[in-house]
Amino acid sequence: MPPGPAAPLHPGRLRRGARWDLAARTGLSVAGFVPGLVLAFLLYQLIREAYPSVVFSGTHFFTGKIFSIGSGYASSVEVHNGYKASAGAHYGILPLLWGTLISSVIALALAIPVSVGGAILLVERLPARVQQPLGVFLELLAGIPSVVFGLWGVVTFGPLLARDVYKPIASLGIPWLSTYTATGQGLLTASLVLAAMVVPIIAATTRELVRSVPATTKEGAWALGLTRSETVKAVTWPSIRSGVLAASLLGWGRALGETMAVLMISGYKLDAYPHSLFDTFTTMAATVAGFLDSALQDPTGMAVHALAEVGIVLLVVVLVTNFLGRLITRRSTTVALPVGRGV
Amino acid sequence: MHKATVIPLLAATAALAAACGGGGSHAGSGSSSGTSSSATTAVTPGSGSTTSSVKTGNPPAPVTVTESGSSLLYPFLQELVTPLSGAYSNVKLEPAAGGSGKGITDATNGITTIGGSDAYLNGAELSSGLMNIPIAVSAQDVFYNLPGVKNLKLTGSVLAQMYEGKITTWNAPAVAQLNPGVTLPSTKVVTIHRSDSSGDTFLFSGFLSKTDSTWASQVGQNTTVTWPAAPGALTANGNPGMVQACAKVPGCVAYIGISAQSEALAANLEEAQLQDKSGQFVTANSTTIGNAVKNAAGSVPSNLVADLLYSAGTDSYPIVNFEYIIVKPTQPDANTALAIRDFLTFATSTSGGSTPALLAKENFQALPSNVIPKVDAAVAKIS
Repeated sequence: MPPGPAAPLHPGRLRRGARWDLAARTGLSVAGFVPGLVLAFLLYQLIREAYPSVVFSGTHFFTGKIFSIGSGYASSVEVHNGYKASAGAHYGILPLLWGTLISSVIALALAIPVSVGGAILLVERLPARVQQPLGVFLELLAGIPSVVFGLWGVVTFGPLLARDVYKPIASLGIPWLSTYTATGQGLLTASLVLAAMVVPIIAATTRELVRSVPATTKEGAWALGLTRSETVKAVTWPSIRSGVLAASLLGWGRALGETMAVLMISGYKLDAYPHSLFDTFTTMAATVAGFLDSALQDPTGMAVHALAEVGIVLLVVVLVTNFLGRLITRRSTTVALPVGRGV
Repeated sequence: MHKATVIPLLAATAALAAACGGGGSHAGSGSSSGTSSSATTAVTPGSGSTTSSVKTGNPPAPVTVTESGSSLLYPFLQELVTPLSGAYSNVKLEPAAGGSGKGITDATNGITTIGGSDAYLNGAELSSGLMNIPIAVSAQDVFYNLPGVKNLKLTGSVLAQMYEGKITTWNAPAVAQLNPGVTLPSTKVVTIHRSDSSGDTFLFSGFLSKTDSTWASQVGQNTTVTWPAAPGALTANGNPGMVQACAKVPGCVAYIGISAQSEALAANLEEAQLQDKSGQFVTANSTTIGNAVKNAAGSVPSNLVADLLYSAGTDSYPIVNFEYIIVKPTQPDANTALAIRDFLTFATSTSGGSTPALLAKENFQALPSNVIPKVDAAVAKIS
């Protein structure tokens, strides 16, 4: 018998089919609301935790260079705008903001050409029997935990770079390239590792996008006498452009928020800007992770509030860039959007 | 909105609100509660201490005393696990490292039963009732990585300038002045400091504050300090991390706790001679450490907060400290309190944990005898 219209909500009077229907709808509604509630809850708690620091530091947070917990052993406390912090405490995140942005920019600048070029090569040039395993390998790369990348960077990659690349270049005395650390920890190493983490995201998406370019359009281009590279420029690239942008924004989000690997490879240098591409630095995410230990020891608790404020700034940066990305990709509706975090 | 969507929405909100309202529960690490049948005994016979009224004894059920904190104290605690269970079969010590700051916060929040710290507690922590109880005397070395250069003499002021970035090469005049006749290489100075909240940082920054006025006013002493921007400065986690990092970098200088001295020497690092308050250059050994403690131990207050750095007297090593156990005087159950008292009295007794053999492995010294009664008085408060 075909199911009738939904019965009125009188318990006991519902037919079994309608009851299941109601149960399913209820369950799915809960499932639908919970992520939104969790996000709202997270934001609320984070803002509440960060509020004392927002009041205490004010705009100094965004103009100051020193991120200092102060001394719990001093006999006085600092009071600004009604909130207490340990004597000598300053919370300024300029070096953190700079470090986060510059490392992500360099990582993407390296990752985008490599992954787009590699993906196009993979689909257009390589024979099918090689494409399949390489494609799988690429997707596996995306799943490697970041702490493993960090370990590799600290133990192998960093020292290798320091010995064979940084040392000879630093001895040339070029400005911005003349100091380095023997362990290889620093801005360029961290950016390279970030790029390695971002490449699979962009490459996997680009590969799908290139594959979905209609074959007839490409064949038409060949028929007109265009070479394969001219075809890529004239046909493939325009149609994958906004999808690549969307994937790059996903990669940008990952690079911004990457914590463990950066903490291990950056050298974790607070309160100073890197003086060269090979110099140590730190990012917002790495500082939240690395500083938490010390922050918990602050008797006034202001240090933890300051870290929460750093977390909010990072969250805002990531959300804004994600939002901008969706805005840009919405312009093109013919290309399948990449599936992944944030989309 | 349909009722079918409003009701689950409200239910989900209520569930989340209940979950967050549950506040922080604190973990007690004792096992069964209930009456403790502890015997009243004096502290282990044969030790140097006289009468004490600390109640110790084997708890009726197994108790695990968890600890985290100082990586300088950690090897010594690891050594004590087996002898402690030998003396009190139901008491098991589970030490961990993580830095003195972590030890203090873990003990405060009840995440571990006790904390280990090279740094004494600050005013706020003491007034919240937390106690710091010393169990041994330890020290800190300064190691450097310059193959071929041995027994380099350094002062606190020179070290402060290195960490401030003012002295950038090893053959700087300030260093050469202290070491006449020694050929110093032009290697760049690479300073290494701890990235975790560290009692070793507390001791080193305290030593620098007492010997260099610029450091005292600009940086100060703390378990986490705002390190000045020295070129090429590196960070490391824990004492073993400092050894590893320094061993890899020629020209590095690092402050390393004395319990990691043998590892540092095995990694081909050299120990520096530091200048004491009387102007002599000394290395850390039982004589120089003993002298430092002797001169400062007379003035230890009853809350056991004692600064043994840069103490007066000849031939006294400048970076010496008590190794503290951080503990709350009120424990969740009587058996845990008993286990902690057992551990502390055992650790400080010269026939229990503070035997010369056990201490020597980490280059520690026993507590001076005039401090022991104050330690016992503090331990007696744990219940």
